[in-house]
Amino acid sequence: MTFLEKSNWVVLIVGVPTLLVYMAVVVPQVLGKSIAEVSWVQPMIFTIAGFVVANILGNVVAAATNPREADKNDQRDREIDHFGERVGNWLMIAGSIIALVLAMTTADRFWIANAIFLGGMAAALVSSVTKITAYHGPFQRW
Amino acid sequence: MVKPTLVTNSIRSLRFSNHEMTQAELADRVGVTRQTIIAIEQGRYSPSLETAFQIARVFRVPLDAVFQYSDEQG
Repeated sequence: MTFLEKSNWVVLIVGVPTLLVYMAVVVPQVLGKSIAEVSWVQPMIFTIAGFVVANILGNVVAAATNPREADKNDQRDREIDHFGERVGNWLMIAGSIIALVLAMTTADRFWIANAIFLGGMAAALVSSVTKITAYHGPFQRW
Repeated sequence: MVKPTLVTNSIRSLRFSNHEMTQAELADRVGVTRQTIIAIEQGRYSPSLETAFQIARVFRVPLDAVFQYSDEQG
């Protein structure tokens, strides 16, 4: 497994539980309280910080398991990376457009922030799944 | 992304006829990862023209001795 593939596994292994913890904290509040009373700022900050820090640590561990491969990538890696990023970017754009519409309709800032946050998380996760799938299946750019 | 390729190759037989060269050794000599050599060998990835020439150069054969293009239309 190349370092870039390991790096994408790290995003999935770290990202899915991080997102689930955030949902477990916020969704019950949304269902039981009015939106103004929902405590979401701190959970979101901890989720983003935790995701970034865990990703860095995961990449350090992945690099340490095979230091010789850690800085190695080739044309196929770069093509797969570009393809996955392009797929992820569409989700990021979708989240931003939803946030824009919510802002225009003067929705609560909870919904605006969460549209951007979930768009970003979905972009990272779907991009990683796309890249891992490309590593294991046929991948032809010609 | 999953478009099948009509490009086939003889890398596996060329490796064996060249002192049973390993995929890792070929990868090192071409400057790609071993995983890329595996993907090319299995027809899951078509390399760039430059990488294709580099592979042919390692085996000291012309390009069409390594890569072939099927007459069948996809």
